[in-house]
This record gives sequence, structure tokens and C-alpha cells, in this order.
Amino acid sequence: MSNLNIDSVKARTFDAIVIGSGISGGWAAKELTEKGLKTLVLERGKDVKHVVDYPTTNMYPYEFDHRGEVPLAIQQAAPIANRCYAFREDAMHFFVKDKEHPYIQEKPFDWIRGYQVGGKSLLWARQTQRWSDFDFEGPGRDGFAVDWPIRYKDIAPWYTYVEKFAGIAGNKDGLKELPDGDFLPGYPLNAVEDYFKQVLSTRYGGSRHVVSARCAHLSKPNQIHIDQGRVQCQNRILCQRGCPFGGYFSSNSSTLPWAEKTGNLTLRPFSVVHSVLYDEEKGKATGVKVIDANTKEEIDFYAKVIFVNAAALNTNLILLNSVSNRFPNGLGNDNGLLGKFVAFHNYSARISAEYDGLKEYKTDGRNPAGGGYIPRFRNILKQETNFLRGYAAGFSAHRSMDRDLSKIGNDLKNELLNPVLGPWRVGSHMMGETIPKEESYVALETNKQDEWGMPLLKISMDYDDNDVKMKADYIEQLTEMFTEAGFTNITPNTASQAPGLDIHEMGGVRMGNDPKTSLLNKWNQLHQCSNVFVTDGACMTSTSTQNPSLTYMAFAARSVDYAVNEMKKNNL
Amino acid sequence: MKRRSAIKNLLIIAGGIAILPACSTENGKASIQLSNLSINGDQEALLAEIAEAIIPAGDTQGAKDLNLHLFVLKMVDDCHPEEEQKQFLKGLDQFNDLSNQKFSKTFMKADIKERQELLATLDATQPHSQDVEAFYKITKRRVIQGFLNSKYVMTDLKQYELIPGRYNGYFPVN
Ligand SMILES: Cc1cc2nc3c(=O)[nH]c(=O)nc-3n(C[C@H](O)[C@H](O)[C@H](O)COP(=O)(O)OP(=O)(O)OC[C@H]3O[C@@H](n4cnc5c(N)ncnc54)[C@H](O)[C@@H]3O)c2cc1C
Ligand code: SF4
Repeated sequence: MSNLNIDSVKARTFDAIVIGSGISGGWAAKELTEKGLKTLVLERGKDVKHVVDYPTTNMYPYEFDHRGEVPLAIQQAAPIANRCYAFREDAMHFFVKDKEHPYIQEKPFDWIRGYQVGGKSLLWARQTQRWSDFDFEGPGRDGFAVDWPIRYKDIAPWYTYVEKFAGIAGNKDGLKELPDGDFLPGYPLNAVEDYFKQVLSTRYGGSRHVVSARCAHLSKPNQIHIDQGRVQCQNRILCQRGCPFGGYFSSNSSTLPWAEKTGNLTLRPFSVVHSVLYDEEKGKATGVKVIDANTKEEIDFYAKVIFVNAAALNTNLILLNSVSNRFPNGLGNDNGLLGKFVAFHNYSARISAEYDGLKEYKTDGRNPAGGGYIPRFRNILKQETNFLRGYAAGFSAHRSMDRDLSKIGNDLKNELLNPVLGPWRVGSHMMGETIPKEESYVALETNKQDEWGMPLLKISMDYDDNDVKMKADYIEQLTEMFTEAGFTNITPNTASQAPGLDIHEMGGVRMGNDPKTSLLNKWNQLHQCSNVFVTDGACMTSTSTQNPSLTYMAFAARSVDYAVNEMKKNNL
Repeated sequence: MKRRSAIKNLLIIAGGIAILPACSTENGKASIQLSNLSINGDQEALLAEIAEAIIPAGDTQGAKDLNLHLFVLKMVDDCHPEEEQKQFLKGLDQFNDLSNQKFSKTFMKADIKERQELLATLDATQPHSQDVEAFYKITKRRVIQGFLNSKYVMTDLKQYELIPGRYNGYFPVN
């Protein structure tokens, strides 16, 4: 350790430290640097520079050795990542190989991780919806978890703030359960998606909707996006490779280069944060301990304020591992709730069908939004089913191509080269809210460590009775809705998947008003350690049905604004 | 063929992708490097004829022109579990017997019509050995995949668009 050298200490001292460079860390970094703070971003993985480090981005399908398939040996080294639909030959290098990063599944949990600069922001499906007060008021109304310390009005301006910069395509749909945002033009629904929208609005008296999926794509860039070096999305739908146009939002294309331009950013890849350092006399965190991923050397870095954005479960791990005399059970964990009340989204049901009508249309080009989105329609105004909360659903349609592959020789060749248009195929998947409970937790397995000396994370969460009932309802309701629309061959698929594959794990460091029952206050600030902030999924008190990342962005921006104001007032 | 002069610097192109040639191309050895499958030149030649019978050359290129049999081998070698690799090899070896039973000559000696007639019986679910069925299913699927995803088909015969730059959800049909 070279900590004794004064100059070296100076070189390792910053105004702010951000742990993690993914969606939430990228936002924290942008906001901190823009407000003039010298900011160190610590990232455990390798650097991924926009465009330069997207090795597959311009490859044609025939340029992939296995035409997109992942060779068996690589699948076997990544049995969990391999369950993710995006783990394909073109993007597999952005996923953690499970063998290198073990964890303990007390109950089955598919932990999908991207360890690199940009984190999972390179890989995400870019679906972005705001929460509404039906979501923030959920725990209070339905009596689970704890009440959120904020309401929609507190975060609404910050949604607007991040939407403007990130670029979110969507329509103003005027729905209370899915508040409108500051949108770029939405991607239109196709003929059958529109038709289904009409059917629902007629049949359910305006209580069930299909809207164009809202997504982080530059359908029509504004000056602020051009200034980031990003241009209009070109409908490639190869986003998981990294986009040469910057057509979708990622840390790599947007927040990190922006932070770099301020001159206040220091980005340190290959830096595994081991723990947050706590100074008992000062009653504050003073910095973080890092293990250099390559040399395994320990290095301490110092700052006045620390943002923990390592993605929900890793943020839990770092805080649980930050032990001191004052906090023997993890930083800020006087109430013993750190790591508890974790939850996820129930993605365990899908349904597909065919539609024989509207054959005068097909689609041309590709839709980056992916199709339509059905906002939650269950238990919105009051409790009306035998389960709590509800689910949103994806809905999309495409015109199939039919080829008779039982043929042989020239006939087969003809089929392959001249397929005929088949019927429309439609599909939907469930996105259910799950209830955070005390018995759902993550904890440290201190006897077992990874290659960098970090204790392994134990994960224990599962579906419960509420999830089972909700899933049955999803299948029942979607079947009814599909039937109403005259769809045929309706095929539910209820094959379960382990929690985790939704990639929306949340909680463990939840927000709340009362330090006895929560870890973070309404500013995402640790109740017990005021210069440490958590603005990734770990802060979530409940899960709602919405894709979560837009909310993490808004929390990060809002929280930095608060922290910097507090610093100016010398309160931090 | 002289062994020394046969050392190739160039990659073999199968369906548009580059495949490493085997270091030595002695007679009797497969022409590409494989890590799990052990294939001899005769087996490779037989597979090439089967692939060609599935997608023959005509006005447009066929399986042999595109080296689709090598693509099949590469995929089976890298992407299939060991038991399927075994079935694949066994099934391939039983092909000549099948042909002998039906036409009293090996598959290599059968003409294209006979070859295709034999494959058609495999497509119709007539009882055959499990290995032959597994082999044929894998081969046909991979030949079709290799064909549709070949550079030739994707650029010369069809237009694969890397960058469509548009979306229309109401595109009129005809
Ligand atoms: C295929 C896929 C599809 C998705 N689709 C959507 C979607 O449509 N909509 C949506 O809202 N969300 C989606 N998500 C989820 C979304 O990607 C995450 O919610 C989001 O990236 C979380 O942001 P984050 O900053 O918390 O974490 P990440 O983006 O994962 O970033 C965390 C970073 O922290 C680093 N890190 C971890 N531990 C340490 C440590 N000890 N020290 C230093 N650095 C560390 C990691 O390497 C990583 O770079 C999807 C995810 C995937 C993989
Ligand atoms: S769909 Fe848009 S954002 Fe995605 S790769 Fe394409 S151009 Fe880029």
C-alpha cells in the first residue's frame, strides 16, 4: 500500500466518487462534473469507448462465425447469462461470464451482469416509462414494505430533466397511470397493433390501452443530442452491439462523454470497489477502498461525497462489506434492514397468437420501440382482484414469412428465396410488480471470496402466492383480450423463469421517511451516513410495473442536485 | 496432391465466413480445422453431396459453391453437444447403407434424382435409425441456415439491410 505518501493522497482525493459507470452512475457523473465537482468514476470492468470499442457493430450476419449463435463452450462458461435473450454472438462480450464471477443462489436467481464502462446501458432494451402516483402510493395503500418518502410531483421535474437529455421517443397518451413525458416523436404502432388498441378501447370502455412503447431512441434528435455527438436512430435494432449513431441512450454515448467534456471527470476502469471507508470521528465516509482488477493491489481514494451506483445487488454487496466499529453490519445498517426487502419483476408468462385479418399490410423497416405497451389496468383505483398490484404487458405484431421447409432440391431453394407472406403473429409478455418482503434478501457469504477478495453474495428471493395469482390473471385477461380481437391459435406460455432474468432486481437499501424502517431518506441519502448516496435500483422501496432505469436516472440527477446544494451550505 | 504444396495461406470461405483450413491437407483428411469432430475426406465429400442435393446449384449458386458442408461441420463442431456430434457422425456413416438398400449403389454413385428421392423419404417421417434422423435434421437445418445467411444470398439474391433508416407499420402488400 502506498497510502502514506502525502502527494499520492492528494492525487487520490476528489470532490466526489461515483461507484459504477452504468445507467445510474453515468448520470451521477454527468451531474457532478457539470456542477464543477472533480469526480472519480470507479468501474470494475474494462473501458468501452463509444464506437471505438463496439467490435461487432457494423458486422453483417454472415460475418459472424456462428451466424449469431453462441458456441457451446462459451455457453457453458456462462450458463446464467446464456439464458438472457441478448446473449448472442454479437453482444456476448458485454456480459459477465458467470464462471468468473460466482455468487450463491439460496434460491434460483439468474443474475445478469455487464461489468464494463457503461454497465448494462449498452445492452438494455431501452424501454422507458415514468412511474405515477398509483405506483408511489402503492405500499402505503396496500400495506406492504414502507411508504415511499416521495410522490410523483417530487420526481416529475427530474423525469423531464433526464428525458430531455437522454432522448425518449413516445406519444402524449394522456393516461394517469402512465404520465406523459418530454418526448421526441413516438414510433407508430403497426396495422395490427393499432387494431388491437381499438379493440381494447371499445371493449373495455377506455380502461385498457395500448400505447406506442416509449423508448430511449432519438427518433428526431434535438440540438442537445447533436451536441452529445449523437444522431438520429437509423432503425437497425442492433443496439446491444453499441450503436455507431448513438441512436439509443447509453452511458457510453451520452452521459460519460458529456462528463468528460467538462474536464472534471477521472474514469478509472479495472477498479473493483471493495468498501466505503468510514471515519468515526467525522461521522462520515471519507472514501473507498479499491482492488485493482489487474494487479489485485489495494488503493484508497478519497472524496467528500460518494455515490454508490454499482447496480442494485452489487450496491448492496459493497455497503454490506463496508464494515467499521460504528457499522459492524454494513454502512448505515443500524436497523438490520440492509439487503432485505429486495424484489424483482415477474416476467414469467407470455402469450402468442395469429391474426388472419389486415393482410393488405405488412411492415417495412424496423421499429426500435419494439411495438406497443399495455400499461397496468388491474387494481389501479382500488383493490379489485384476489392479488395485490398488477402487471404491464408488451404487445407487438409482425407479419410472418412462411416457408415450407419439408421440400428438397430446387423446390426448397425456391421456398427459401421466395417465401410467401403468412398471417400476422402477435405476442405479449407480462411485466408484473412483485412485493418486497423481509424474507427476500441478499447477504454476504464471508467464508467464500471471489478472485478479488470480495465476499460472495448470497441471493434469496422467489415468487410468492401473489405472483402465482397475478400470472394466472395475466394469462386469463390476455386470452380474453386476444379472443375479443379475433386472434386465433392463442398459445399461453407459462414456463417459469427464475427471478433475475427480468434484469430489474431492486431494493435492499430502500428509501423511506423513518430511519428505523429504511436506509435512505427522500434524497437517496443514507440516514446514518449523510455523504453517501444510492441512486440505483437498490434504493427502490417498491417495484411498480414500469421498466425501472428511467427512474434511476431521475433519482441520480435529483440526488446530485441536492447533494451539491448541501455541500455549498457546508452541510456535507 | 503434394502435401507441401498444399499448405494454404488463405482461409476457406464457407457461406461467406472465413474458416481455418486444416494445417495439412493429406488425402483422407477433412479440409478444415475442427476441434471435436473427426472427419475424413470421404465423409466430407459425402456431406458435400448431401448438402448439394438439399440445395443444388442451378441458375443460382448451390450448397457446394457456398461450401455449406463446411459450414455444417463448423456449426456441429462448435455449437452442438457431444451426443449430437456422435449421432451426426453415425448418421452420416449410415447414409451409404441407406442408399445401397434403396438403389443398390452408394449415395456417391446415385444420381441427383435418386439422392433427392432418398432425402425426401427422410423428410417424410418414415422409420429410419435415430442417428440418421438426427444427422439429417441437423444437416438440413444448418444447410438452410448457412444458405440464407450467406453473403451471396444476402447481397446478390436478397438485400439484407444493415441500416434500414425507416419503419412503416402500414406497408401495403401489392
Ligand atoms: C438485455 C437487457 C434488457 C434490459 N431492458 C431494459 C429496459 O428495456 N428498460 C429498463 O429500464 N431497463 C432495462 N434493463 C435493465 C437496465 O439495464 C438496468 O436497470 C440498468 O442498467 C441499471 O443501471 P445501473 O447503473 O444501476 O447498473 P449497470 O448499468 O449495470 O451499471 C453498474 C456498473 O457498476 C459496476 N460495478 C459493479 N460492482 C462494482 C464494484 N464493486 N466496483 C466498481 N464497479 C462496480 C458494473 O461493472 C457496472 O458497469 C435491461 C437489461 C438488460 C441486460
Ligand atoms: S436501432 Fe437505432 S439505436 Fe439501435 S443500433 Fe440501430 S440506429 Fe442504433
